[in-house]
Amino acid sequence: MHLQRHLLARRLQTLLPALVLSLLGFYAVWPWLPLPASAAPPRTIVFYGFSILGEVMNQSVFPAFQQEWQARTGERVEFISSFGGSGTVTNQVIMGVPAELALLSLELDAQRLSDNGVVPAQSWRRLPQGGIVNRTPFVILVRPGNPKGIRDFTDLTRPDVKVIHPDPLTSGGANWAIVAEYGAGMRGQPGNPSAGYDLLLGVWRNVVAQAASARAARTQFDNGFGDALITYEQEALYDQARGKLRAEVVYPHSTVLSEHTLVVVERNIPARDRDLVDAFVAFLWSESAQRLFVQGGFRSVDDKLNAGNPAFGVIADPFRIDDLGGWAKAKREIVDAVWKSKVLKELGR
Amino acid sequence: MTTTTLATPAAPRRRPAALVPVGMLVLVLLPLLLLPLAAVFVFAFRGGLTAFLSALNTQDARFALRFSLLIAFATAIVNAVLGTFAAYVLSKYRFPGERPLGIVVNLPVAIPTVVVGTSLLLLWGPIGLLGRLLEPTGFQPMFTPFGVLLAHLFVTFPYMLGTIKPLLDELETTYEEAAYTIGANRWQTFRHILLPALRGGLFTGALLTFAHSLGEFGATVLVSGNLRLRTQTAPLYIFAQFEAGNLAAANAVAAVLALLSFVIFFFLLRYTGRRTEGRL
Repeated sequence: MHLQRHLLARRLQTLLPALVLSLLGFYAVWPWLPLPASAAPPRTIVFYGFSILGEVMNQSVFPAFQQEWQARTGERVEFISSFGGSGTVTNQVIMGVPAELALLSLELDAQRLSDNGVVPAQSWRRLPQGGIVNRTPFVILVRPGNPKGIRDFTDLTRPDVKVIHPDPLTSGGANWAIVAEYGAGMRGQPGNPSAGYDLLLGVWRNVVAQAASARAARTQFDNGFGDALITYEQEALYDQARGKLRAEVVYPHSTVLSEHTLVVVERNIPARDRDLVDAFVAFLWSESAQRLFVQGGFRSVDDKLNAGNPAFGVIADPFRIDDLGGWAKAKREIVDAVWKSKVLKELGR
Repeated sequence: MTTTTLATPAAPRRRPAALVPVGMLVLVLLPLLLLPLAAVFVFAFRGGLTAFLSALNTQDARFALRFSLLIAFATAIVNAVLGTFAAYVLSKYRFPGERPLGIVVNLPVAIPTVVVGTSLLLLWGPIGLLGRLLEPTGFQPMFTPFGVLLAHLFVTFPYMLGTIKPLLDELETTYEEAAYTIGANRWQTFRHILLPALRGGLFTGALLTFAHSLGEFGATVLVSGNLRLRTQTAPLYIFAQFEAGNLAAANAVAAVLALLSFVIFFFLLRYTGRRTEGRL
């Protein structure tokens, strides 16, 4: 009797791992089992986007297009997507990830794709709006109540302020932020040729943490690091609309409106999916998609839709990259010649 | 005289003295190991069980968990075969270059996993040494589930080998020799003499491989392309959600991974514990 129970316990000990493992295995393969009820596989679009696009694409734009396409053709569409720093996404596309569409934070990254032979030069310029899908200005996020009294970029140069900044190596947002800081300095003192450099140097002296993407920088800020974060207005508005924002938005007197460029990677699009991808590209500039972007905190390329979001703040002196001569010039003369060669050297980084 | 006192310390006198070092150890371990693990579960269940379940019940989370499990099973099966074969060759044959080969097969333990990912990309990627040659065939292993499997096979290779080889080395050769004398060939000897003796080691090694594959991050993040619903494993999902500030989603999957590794660890303990108990 006693011996029998002992044997049973032993058998159970061998059976238990086998049982647990086979249950796990069964759970894992379940969706791929050839069950009779499964419908035709959906058609797919592979979409890579820069970091802050994640929610608005996954939760509004993709579902809206899925609905529209199903209503029009009866076919199901599945979006395979990945979101990361714009530079990271660009490097991944160059390395050969199967992206069919890439929505990048800045045209400079699109330029890198064409420099590496991934897409024909300037191919995005043939899209509506020169490839620009939406915009958002660069703003300053501060702690609730603005305890350090930050009102503009110049306040970020004070010695008691700690700034969180995304890393220009991998983040498109960081490149925009550098342009915003430099441009704001120049426009603030038009007579002083080194005003842009002075402001940039002052801000960067106070940078205490650099994250790989605008989104990652935001997470660092939320986790309690630093007094101020320079980021996309959309980041703040998206959370504000959901009552989740634990920070305040400060609108600088003068700042840049970032413009986000769509690149179609022809070589990754199979001929049979051409119509589907083209339809989605057209959909991105349709009024319904642009309205979704506005609801998600992005400023539409269609100015009259921007009245749809009362949270958009007023910027006294906004400027665009074209005011600085385009990205190629800004990258050469601001990011490389001033920030990389002078500011970083001066700070010994 | 002294040796006997050392060998049999007085049990009642040891107990009060142990209190201080044991207490210190627990104090050190608490913030180092126990509290971080507890934090994952506290955060995961902070919104209640329904919030935890709904965080797990998104398409992305379910896919990531399933994909990780499938890769872990595949890795464990392939490396069980490859690792046992490697252990057999290294243990039963004597040949020049045996030692260097033994070092090479154990290298993955020492190489940082990020380096493994980079090297795989530089070999098989579209701009890689072999990847360029594959380009015309249209076969592209990187950024696909197959690429993830390759990375996991590389990273976990030594675990199977490490469990099986000592067993093979220790095994009495008399049964093997007996098998050969009655005309058994190498395969028959392996199948009927060695394999039954290795059963426990195979189970332990496969579980170790499975556990490591389930948690692999460094190599996977590079070779997978991090595509949701296609190549995003559970650890990549956790990282992506955490970076995006979705703590609830990240923590729910982290809690499941932690739970799975507890279960595997429990099996490992039970199994190895029982074997030593049987031997004594």
